[in-house]
Amino acid sequence: MSFRNFLLTSALALSLSHVAPAAETLLQPSESPLVSFRILFRTGAAADPKGKEGAASLAASMLSQGGTAKRTYDQIVEQMFPMAASVGSQVDKEMTVFSGTTHVENLEAYYSTLKEMLLEPGWREDDFRRLKDDAINFLRIGLRGNNEEELGKETLYLTIYGPEHPYGHHNSGNVSALEAMTIGDLKDFYGSNYRSDNVIIAISGGYPADFPARVKADFETLAADAPGPVELPAPTAAKKTAVHILQKDTRSTLLSIGFPIDVTRSHPDWPALKLMQSYFGQHRSSKSLLFQQIREIRGMNYGNYAYIEYFPRGMYQFQPDANLARRQQIFQIWIRPVQPENGPFALKIALYELDKLIREGISEEDFQATKLFLSKNVNLLTQTQDDQLGYSLDSQYYGTGEFNSWFKGQLDGLTREAVNKAIKDHLRATDLDVIVTTQDAQGFRRRILANDARPAYASPPAEAVRAEDLLIRNYKLDLGAIEIVPADHVFE
Amino acid sequence: MSKFLALAMTVLLLSCSQMSNVEQQIFPYQSEVYDFPNGLRGVVVDSSYPNLIALYIVVQVGSRNEVEPGRSGFAHLFEHMMFRGTERFPSEKWEEIMQAAGAATNAYTTDDRTVYHAILAKEDLEQILELEADRFQNLKYSEEQFRTETRAVLSEYNKSFADPFRKLDEALRDTIYSEHTYKHTTMGYIADVEAMPEMYDYGLQFFDRYYRPEYTTVSIIGDVDFAQSKALIEKYWGGWEHGSYQADIPAEPAQEGPRRANVEFHAPTLPFTEIAYRGPAYDDEIIDSAVLDVISFQAFGENSPIYKKLVIEEQKVDAFFTDYPDHVDPYPFGIVARVKDPNDLDYVEAQILAEIESLKTTPIPAEELAAVKSHLRYQFALSMNSTGAIAGTLAHYLGLRRTPETVNKRYRLYDAVTPEDIQTVAQKYFKPEAQTIVRLGPVMDGMPAEEQ
Repeated sequence: MSFRNFLLTSALALSLSHVAPAAETLLQPSESPLVSFRILFRTGAAADPKGKEGAASLAASMLSQGGTAKRTYDQIVEQMFPMAASVGSQVDKEMTVFSGTTHVENLEAYYSTLKEMLLEPGWREDDFRRLKDDAINFLRIGLRGNNEEELGKETLYLTIYGPEHPYGHHNSGNVSALEAMTIGDLKDFYGSNYRSDNVIIAISGGYPADFPARVKADFETLAADAPGPVELPAPTAAKKTAVHILQKDTRSTLLSIGFPIDVTRSHPDWPALKLMQSYFGQHRSSKSLLFQQIREIRGMNYGNYAYIEYFPRGMYQFQPDANLARRQQIFQIWIRPVQPENGPFALKIALYELDKLIREGISEEDFQATKLFLSKNVNLLTQTQDDQLGYSLDSQYYGTGEFNSWFKGQLDGLTREAVNKAIKDHLRATDLDVIVTTQDAQGFRRRILANDARPAYASPPAEAVRAEDLLIRNYKLDLGAIEIVPADHVFE
Repeated sequence: MSKFLALAMTVLLLSCSQMSNVEQQIFPYQSEVYDFPNGLRGVVVDSSYPNLIALYIVVQVGSRNEVEPGRSGFAHLFEHMMFRGTERFPSEKWEEIMQAAGAATNAYTTDDRTVYHAILAKEDLEQILELEADRFQNLKYSEEQFRTETRAVLSEYNKSFADPFRKLDEALRDTIYSEHTYKHTTMGYIADVEAMPEMYDYGLQFFDRYYRPEYTTVSIIGDVDFAQSKALIEKYWGGWEHGSYQADIPAEPAQEGPRRANVEFHAPTLPFTEIAYRGPAYDDEIIDSAVLDVISFQAFGENSPIYKKLVIEEQKVDAFFTDYPDHVDPYPFGIVARVKDPNDLDYVEAQILAEIESLKTTPIPAEELAAVKSHLRYQFALSMNSTGAIAGTLAHYLGLRRTPETVNKRYRLYDAVTPEDIQTVAQKYFKPEAQTIVRLGPVMDGMPAEEQ
C-alpha cells in the first residue's frame, strides 16, 4: 500500500446549489484509520484592530476552548474525552487554524462538535473571563516570567516591527488591550473575519468519500466577502547595531539578533537562503556553523541557531509548526543562555561569523554537504498526515508546489554562486536589532561600550581558538543606540 | 488486509470489548526481540510507514544510577560526552556522515534511561548502525573536550532557571526522598553541575560501568527487514564486551508522617501547590501503578468533577494536572494546581484532599471508568501516527522492560481495572503518613520562606 497522499486541492466535483463564493477544500484521502482536520481562516493577529491587540487570538480561544450556543464547555469536554479528541487553535499574523485528529470510528461525533464549535460559538461570559485571564497570565507569567528564551525572541519581533506595524504586537496581544477587551469585540472580530471565502477546509485520512462535500456545505453557511489582507508597511530598519537590554533576575545572558528580510517562501531566493540558514544555524543541529563555533569548540552554551521564518516554541520542538506563513519575515540568530561573563563575546562572535559569511560565502564542499542534507531531511518534516496537511496549506499560501517535491526540485537547480549572491543581497551584519536578556544590564552596557569582550573558559582553549578569539574580540561592532528596559515592561 | 485497516480493527475490537481474554494488542505492529550472547538486546518493529527508519538506542542508565555523593547529573553529562567521537570517527566525521544521511539525531536522559535516537532513510541504516556501534564501544575524548562540554551542561541547567515546574520538581523530590537517588533531578544539583569540570576520571569509569551490552537495547523501527536488521545488529554490536558492574541503588525507607515544604521562587509566578503520595514503581503484572494512571484521568483529568469545579466554574485554578510518570523504582503520585490568588491555596488543597478521601470511600460510577478506558485506548492509537512517534513511545517502555510486549501487558491491566481496584489502591497509597505537600510561589502571606 502506498501511504503517499493524493493531493486533490479544491478538485472535488461538487454539485452544490450555493451561489456564495465557495469555501476551498484541500483533501488528502488515505487508508489511515485516523482523520485529521485543519480548518484554516486567512486572518490573524495582523487583523487585530488598533487598541484591540489580542482579539484574533482570544476569539480563536473562545471557539476552541469555550462553549457553543447549545452546549457549555464542560459538556463538550465530556463528549470529546472518551474519544481522546480535542480541537486546537493556533493564531499567527495571517493565519488562524483549528486542528484535530479523530479515529474514523468517531468521525461523525467529532465533526458534529467541531462544526458546532466553529460555526455556532457560545460567547459565554464565564468562558470569556477564564480565557482572558489565561491570555494575560500567559504573557505576564508564562512568557515574561518563566520563559526567558521565548521572551527574548518575541521581543525581537516587537522591536523590529514597532507598535504601529500590524506585526508589531505579540500574537496573544498585550495586557492593557486584553484587560479592556469585551465579548462584543470578539464577536465583531469573528463576524468580520470568519467568512466562507477565506476558509480552507483541509482533511486527510480515511474519511468516507461523501464527507468533504458535507463539510464544505456547512462552512458555506458563513457569510462571504472576507476583508482583504491588511496593508503591511515595510518595517523601519534599525540604525547600526541597536542594543536593547532586558533587565531580569536570571543566571545567564541570552541573545536574539535580527533584521527584516524581503524573502518569504514565495521569493525566488528562498531556497538559497534556506540552504544558508541550514549551513549557518540549522535548528537543533550540532553540525551547523554557529553551533560548532560557540558550543562545540568553546562550550559556551547549549546551542546557537539561525532562522529565516518565524519559529516559535523552538525550545520545546525540533521541527517548526506549519501554518505560520507570513508576508514578511526576519532573519534571526538565537544564542542560548551563556554565562554572564561571556555575554559580550557571544554578541561579537555571532556578528563576526555573520559578517564572515557575507564576505566569504559558503565553500563548495559545505554547499554540497548542506544540499544533500536538506534534500533528505525534508522528508522528516511531514511525517504525520497532520504535518502533510499543514505543509500543503502553506504551499498553497505561498504559491509553491507540494513542499517536499518543490523544495527538492529547487535544491537540484541551486548553485553555490546563487546561494552566495543571495547571502550578499539579503543579509547584513549591521542595521539590526539585538535583544539581550541579563541581570547586570549596566555591566553589559559598560563592557560593550569599552569594547571588552574577553571570554571565560572552563579549560584553556587550543592555540588556534585563542588566535581566533583575538580576531573576534577585535571585531568592531557598528554600535548604535543602547537602551535598558526592565523586563516587566514588555507585553504591557 | 492492509496494516492500517488491521490497526483500525484492533482499536474497534478493543473499544467494544467486554472480553475477559483480550486477544487483540494495543501495540499492533509486527515486532521481534533478539537476545545476543553478550547481553545486548535487539528490538525490530515494522511500523507500516514507508521509507524511514528510527534507530533508538536505549541504555538503562539514568540519574537513578548516580549513587555516589557529588555525582548528581552525571548520566546526563555523559550523554553529552557520547557526541565527542572516537579515533575512527571523530565528532566532525560522525556529524558529516549523519548530515549526509539527512538524519535528525539527538539524545535525552531521564531518571531511568539514556536514549540516543536518529531518524533516517532506510538505505542509510547499515552505515548509521556501524557509526553508532563504534561510539558505544570506542568512545574517546580529551580532558579539554570534557571540560568544555561541562559548560554546555551548565548552560542547559541555566536555560530553565525561570521555570517554576523544575523548582517544584526539585523541591518535591528533595522532601520525599532521603536515601533513593530520585532525590535529585536528572539535571542534578547545581553545586554538582558547577563542579563537573573536575570529574574527567569519573567519566572514564562511568563509561566502563554502564555503556555495556547488558544495559543496552538497540531498537530499529520503521520500514524494516527483520532478518537484515538482526544481522546488522549482530555484525556491528555482537563483539561488544559484557560488563560486570551493578549499581547498588538504596531503597527508600517508608515515610512515617506527613511532610510539607514551602519554596520561594525568584521570578514572577502564580503560586503552585503539589499534593503527593508515595506511589509504586511501573509494573505490567501488578495492577497498582496502572490503577493510579486511571485515577489520574478519572479523578483529576479535564473531564473530572474537581477539574470542572476549580478550573472551569470557579476559575480559582488555571493549571491542574497529575504528575506520575512511569519509573523503574517507586515514585510519588502528585496532583499539581496553579492557583490564581494565593489566598485560595488552602481552599484548593482542601478540595483536592476531599477528592482523595472520596476515592477511598465511594466507588466511582462504572460509566466514568469506561470513559477513561476508552480515552486511554484512543489516546494511544491517535499518538501512533508516524515512525518517529511509534519509536519514541516504544523507547519509553524499552527503558522500563526491554520489550514491546510490556505495552500490551500494561494496556491489558488498564482494561481490567474495576471500581473496587480504585478504592483499594486509593486506600493503600493515599495515606496521611505517606503524604507530602509542597507550595511554591513568590514570598507572600501563608508562603513562608523555605522550611524543610
